[in-house]
Amino acid sequence: MRNKLAPNVRAAAIGVAAFVATAGLIHALLPPMVPKGVAAKLKFYSEHKDEFDTVIVGTSQLYYAASPEIFDTVTRENGLPTRTFNFGIDGMHPPENFYVLDLILKTRPKNLKWVLLELGDVQARWEKILGTQRAVYWHDWPRTKLTLQKAWNPRGTVRGPIQLSRLWVARRDLASNLTLFGKQFANVGRAADFLPAAKRERFADSAVELGPKKDGYRFAGDAMAPEQAEGFQKRLAHEIAVAGEKRSSPATERGYRYAAVRIRAAGAKPIFVLPPTIFQSAPRFKRSTGAVPVIAFNDAQKFPEFYDPKARVDDSHLTREAAESFTRLLAREFIRHAAEP
Amino acid sequence: MLFVEFRFFWFFLAVFAVYWSLRENRSRKIWLLLCSYFFYACWNWKFLFLIMASTGLDYVVGTMLSRTDDPGKRRGWLILSLAANLGTIAFFKYYNFFVTSAAATLAWLGLPASPHTLNIIIPVGVSFYTFHSMSYTIDVYRRKLEPVRSVLDLACFIGFFPQMVAGPIVRAFAFLPQLRSLRRFEDVDVRGALVLFLTGFIKKACIADSVAPFVDRYFDAPWNFTGPSAWVAVFFYAIQIYCDFSGYTDMAIATAGLLGYQLPVNFRFPYFAANIADFWHRWHISLSTWLRDYLYIPLGGNRGGPWFVYRNIMITMLLGGLWHGGAWTFVIWGGLHGAALIVHRAWSGRRDVLPHVQDSPRRIPPERRRSAANWFSWVLTVYWVCFAWIFFRAVDLQHAAPAIRSFLFLPAHGTEDLGAWMLAIVAALGVVHWLNFRGVFSSWWRRPSAPAFAAGYGCAFALVLLFIPPHYAPFIYFQF
Repeated sequence: MRNKLAPNVRAAAIGVAAFVATAGLIHALLPPMVPKGVAAKLKFYSEHKDEFDTVIVGTSQLYYAASPEIFDTVTRENGLPTRTFNFGIDGMHPPENFYVLDLILKTRPKNLKWVLLELGDVQARWEKILGTQRAVYWHDWPRTKLTLQKAWNPRGTVRGPIQLSRLWVARRDLASNLTLFGKQFANVGRAADFLPAAKRERFADSAVELGPKKDGYRFAGDAMAPEQAEGFQKRLAHEIAVAGEKRSSPATERGYRYAAVRIRAAGAKPIFVLPPTIFQSAPRFKRSTGAVPVIAFNDAQKFPEFYDPKARVDDSHLTREAAESFTRLLAREFIRHAAEP
Repeated sequence: MLFVEFRFFWFFLAVFAVYWSLRENRSRKIWLLLCSYFFYACWNWKFLFLIMASTGLDYVVGTMLSRTDDPGKRRGWLILSLAANLGTIAFFKYYNFFVTSAAATLAWLGLPASPHTLNIIIPVGVSFYTFHSMSYTIDVYRRKLEPVRSVLDLACFIGFFPQMVAGPIVRAFAFLPQLRSLRRFEDVDVRGALVLFLTGFIKKACIADSVAPFVDRYFDAPWNFTGPSAWVAVFFYAIQIYCDFSGYTDMAIATAGLLGYQLPVNFRFPYFAANIADFWHRWHISLSTWLRDYLYIPLGGNRGGPWFVYRNIMITMLLGGLWHGGAWTFVIWGGLHGAALIVHRAWSGRRDVLPHVQDSPRRIPPERRRSAANWFSWVLTVYWVCFAWIFFRAVDLQHAAPAIRSFLFLPAHGTEDLGAWMLAIVAALGVVHWLNFRGVFSSWWRRPSAPAFAAGYGCAFALVLLFIPPHYAPFIYFQF
């Protein structure tokens, strides 16, 4: 039996090895696939990288809230002139933001001094964007590992045999993230990226995504309607009631520590930012972030001006006026921390 | 779970490894059944009970048929099985169609009625597994097949995951004997199965799914498009449906083959058919032979005058069209094929006595005349098949009308364009298909040693993945 089995197993192993080697070679030869929504900002930044010394990286909560023009005016007035680019992207939660940060740093910006990185929790669920290239492109192994850690052991408290039971609980998230990693590694559908139509589609909304000043910022819209305001205030009251210190997941902590190391290696200083999100809990890392300052605005009692329904478009985004006021405050806090050694 | 999804590879790996590690046939069948039911439950576990009920009923019917010789009782048991199976299809697939059609007819007669339609989910593969099931009871009734002793065998036959949801429609007499004997891995043509799987994967994931967005764009609003766009969309749809369905079938046959089971061939290069009758010997063969054996022949088949035969052809094709779904577009599609088959039959019968065909005084050599006639016949067949696809693809007759106008060379009023150059893609795919038809790719991959083949296969799969679109589209025939 063993004699019959051995050649088949050997052939199967050769087939798998050939598949992995070919996919790996193609992967190494192809430029990274950057989907619509990220491509325009990355292209613009790589073409103008040496003009900027400060980069803001985060989700739409910073994308529509931090105006580089105002930020730079405040820093200049306070004797710490900066030139800032807003790299906020819709829905760019960790660990996608870590991958994009790597892409930014790979452009080797000579004058980069500060990176303001939005704090958030590593996500392991991608139902809304499954089946899109946006879900695939950043699923390299380091990022996939973070999602798997988050899915399997979200709080890092599960030990011993119970960990095995988590395999069943987290099976969908584990399977979807592994599949996305497989697609990323196996270059699924990458040939289509080189079609002119795909390139056109990727940069179709460049002007909008880069914003009117081509600094990566644009405003979200008008204040929410009164009927929406009522719901928002109820949700906010609930969040305030349940607020407390929230321990970050080990995967999140690992991701941010690694990001800080990468930023420092590129010669810049990392600063973590928590925008005025509706969630009021303060994240707590197991170990101190050390030299990485954290600027947090998610406190409705300390920053009531950002939680007035007239200042918000929805649960996540600020109006233009509120965004301008937020940017000034962010710049002042930034100056305070940037001056520190 | 689709054959082209990553998770199917893991699923099949587990099925394959455990299946061949089991020594007893009964254990293997239990494992296969569990896996098949799991495969189906990935869509909707609730409908598993429908399959189990169908299996249980047909097991009882088969057993009862074997216990009685009374023709009346035997007919009664058969009618029970047919009523249950056809009733299931009728309820899930045709209830809304019949109700709305009846209401429309009443309204036309001046008797307005408000139809009560149901929000029904159609169980995936219901048309296929009920046909599997019916082939069993009919064959037992006809005494062509011994009833199974074990319900496990029947459940495995009806629920066998490679063919459960979209065929090929396997006959009980062809599959049940395979379940009785222990399959040997030594008898499996692993290389052939792997190549067939890759071929099916390319057809479905690389070709069908790549042309699908263009077809969808056109058929969503055909009135917006130019005339040449209609030709592109219709030819693309002809490619899509062939590659989608035959790709699925290839993967199903390959998957079953790797487990040691043989499924029937379902496609034999249908677009190279010499005429419409030949087309139906090459397209969805398992359905056409099922309809022939269980509908056309019981209706009387060829045993009668020409009009009697034409009637049988038309009934068979109309019901064959309706089998695909509860919509008049499918009925028209079946009717168009029925009409073409009748014309072909009538023409074939008369051709021999027409003097200008047989004994033309003109000086054209007979071979050249035959060759020209064959070319003309092929072009006409492809044109008619593609013309009929318009009805098959269009949501309704309003959506079909602009495509029909353009396909009949009438002017189109739309301005949006798919790009006539895309017809070059159709031609290129046609050339590749023709090379395959001529056997260019048929067996060279059998020559290398096993390690060389494995290495080549791994490389080929990695390259193929580059060319699949990011979105998996469900198999077209899953909805039937």
